[in-house]
Amino acid sequence: MRNLTKNILLPALLLACTNPLLAQYTFFTPDGAFAIEVSLPNSAEKRLPMYRNAITSLSVQGDRILGGTTAKEGFSPYLFIASISGKNLLTIKDLQEVIPGQKSITTGFCKGTGNQLFAGTMPQSGTNGQAGHLLQIGIGPGNVIEVKDLGAPVAGEGIFALLANRDSSELYGISYPSGRFFTYTITTKKVQVFEDVMPNAKDLKNFHDFASQPEGYLCKALIQDNKGLVYGSAAGNRIFAFDPAKKHFTFLQTPLPAVWGREVLGQVESWAKSPDGKLYGGNAGDGQLFVLDPATQKIKNLGKPMMMGRLQALAFGRDGKLYGLAGGAPGYSHLFSYDETAGFVDLGNPEFKMVAPGIEQGILWRGFQLGTLAASADGKYIVMGEDEALSQLMVFPVGQ
Amino acid sequence: MIRTLHLWLLCLCAANALAQPSGVTDKNIAIIEYPDFPEAHSTWGSIGYNAASNTVHIGVTNHANNIALYSFDPAQHATKLNGFIRDMANLRPYQWQGKIHSKIVAAPDGSIFFSTDGGESREEYLMEHPQGYAGGFFMQWNAKTGLKNLGIGMQYESIKDVDIDPKTGMLYGITYPQAHFLVYDPAKNHLRDLGRLASSHVPRVLFTDWWGNCYYVDWRQRLVKYEKDRDSLVFALEALPAFPGTPGSKIITGVTAYAKDEAKGIIYLITYGAKLIAFHPEKEGIGQVTDLGGVIDTGNAPAWGPYVPNLNVGRNGKLYYIIGGHGNYVMKDKTVLVEFDPATGKKAILKNFPITAITEATGSDIRDKDGNLYFAARRNPSGKGDDTRPYLIQFNPEKEIRK
Repeated sequence: MRNLTKNILLPALLLACTNPLLAQYTFFTPDGAFAIEVSLPNSAEKRLPMYRNAITSLSVQGDRILGGTTAKEGFSPYLFIASISGKNLLTIKDLQEVIPGQKSITTGFCKGTGNQLFAGTMPQSGTNGQAGHLLQIGIGPGNVIEVKDLGAPVAGEGIFALLANRDSSELYGISYPSGRFFTYTITTKKVQVFEDVMPNAKDLKNFHDFASQPEGYLCKALIQDNKGLVYGSAAGNRIFAFDPAKKHFTFLQTPLPAVWGREVLGQVESWAKSPDGKLYGGNAGDGQLFVLDPATQKIKNLGKPMMMGRLQALAFGRDGKLYGLAGGAPGYSHLFSYDETAGFVDLGNPEFKMVAPGIEQGILWRGFQLGTLAASADGKYIVMGEDEALSQLMVFPVGQ
Repeated sequence: MIRTLHLWLLCLCAANALAQPSGVTDKNIAIIEYPDFPEAHSTWGSIGYNAASNTVHIGVTNHANNIALYSFDPAQHATKLNGFIRDMANLRPYQWQGKIHSKIVAAPDGSIFFSTDGGESREEYLMEHPQGYAGGFFMQWNAKTGLKNLGIGMQYESIKDVDIDPKTGMLYGITYPQAHFLVYDPAKNHLRDLGRLASSHVPRVLFTDWWGNCYYVDWRQRLVKYEKDRDSLVFALEALPAFPGTPGSKIITGVTAYAKDEAKGIIYLITYGAKLIAFHPEKEGIGQVTDLGGVIDTGNAPAWGPYVPNLNVGRNGKLYYIIGGHGNYVMKDKTVLVEFDPATGKKAILKNFPITAITEATGSDIRDKDGNLYFAARRNPSGKGDDTRPYLIQFNPEKEIRK
């Protein structure tokens, strides 16, 4: 009885007293999950400052997480490296030191040769003639972030989406706000700009009528199939395919899935390629997940993981499931998984433990506005980044 | 199990040992009921003092969809139902509001301000669902002009607390569950969201200093100050004091109550980890913080355990608070009224109450011009479930109350 009291009843009583008031819900908290505090003002710890840390690009390189941020207007973004094993922030780099006048790194990171990565930036508004730049990023000894400015591919325009081809010899992108498609050859630095997928005057009138801004209608993500075709979205709820060899665009016959009357909202904002080469995409407009079979170029609507629009990120875990982020402001992002057997599983807001100097006992961190998600190369870890005034990383291991 | 009983007895004895003979009797306390609202269930810190009219205002809820706004006039010892929020604000059924969770703050012209809260799970999760939450609202009420709905803070979010800069009329708010700090100028209908400041739990209390700067806490329980002259947030370098071993769940919950002694330049704070703190605000930057110890000596129980969602400071400079609530009591099934003298550091239990009489009391810094202190309380006569009835406690530590 003494042991029962000591080992069970007393801890239970203690727990009952320590739970926050009204803690009546359950959260996705898998074993081994954790949060990394990467943003904190006025700290002796290495942290990102307020309003410059919305995590909008992520890549996992072995044990290291590379992040790129978006800043509030008037501030410049950061690149940073965090450690999965150390559960801590290692390095930060102010992009202002390399390219002044930039606001965000929202394209995600594209894999180059070696451990090189590529990303694109968006300029701060009001900076006269300032354009978004292509970045080549490497992680040097001691986790030093090395950034090389590859210049602005489209004069006066930001870089809204970016993709590297399979052999990392070429980059493909969408410019902002016009929506031009461009190619960049890495060895020669040659840029070609195409207007084939730009919204036309009729499209722009339609967007105006729906009070839709370029952020809401330009193609946010590109993907390349195993045959080399590059896919993205265009106005009118369409999917285009670009053949890099022929420099030629075609539009698929089947449209993006849509809720009736809301076709104007169609926008692909995430892609993930499955091991069998099928392309899974997320439609921001109404939040549908779809699959594009490159062999037939047919699109199948897989449905919506939740009521809200947005489907901000997709990545495959080592368990074969597709993980994604649905929804977002003015609601919350929901983490979900999808596979053909179980269909959608809405995992809701994840809540992971955060431990850092000064909070050694650990606190719980709940992810409301998760803006991006990436998987490690082996699919063992899924890393999520918040889009907040003070954003943190959330990491969970995926079962076999 | 026998050992558990011993622990309870020890706690009981330790708490009783603190009890000092005091001049406080039932004549120092008045119980004030809320009329004309049979379904009234509770109050949630939804109380405030209006110096312009020397009145106390209380928001009382049925904890579902109906909120009554009351005024208590100490001079007349009279309570008045001013109306129901849903009627006065012309809300439709789909704009249901669960409660007023914020304190009630007053402007120099006698207007009072507060905010509304969904108060139930459906607020947090239904969102765009047809039965989702439309709110929470900033609201203004004036005895002459009635209620004015000042609009929503964030879509689908409650506003858990507000405060006011009485010099400019600027309102501050904190939302639930995302803990966004809002700055709202009602004169210009200009709302700004300064972003999320908390983690998994939303600290419930904002407070201002005498310059009109507003304070909150981040997830490390560090003070965060909205410094009005710089129009920016200032974060303290160090966390507020906490007992060793305080769980993270307590740390992230921050401050539960405050009371201001402007003459001494001190704002007293109580944390969810049961610390009493003297905060000395400064116009610029974060001021000094002094650890005044725990809210009560609990003997063998964890010092960070007691729950205190209320605090008042008497004209005698002493602090008064009622410990207990939400199933967390330092004496078995009792709430206790404690007096703390900052000058001597002495704490004394003035009275204890069965939880059937006082289940929980809320409210910060409510004192009328005669030195009466107020707590928004509720009782559960059956002692079972959450079947509570709200009422107002008027307490004067120095003299008998004229009823």
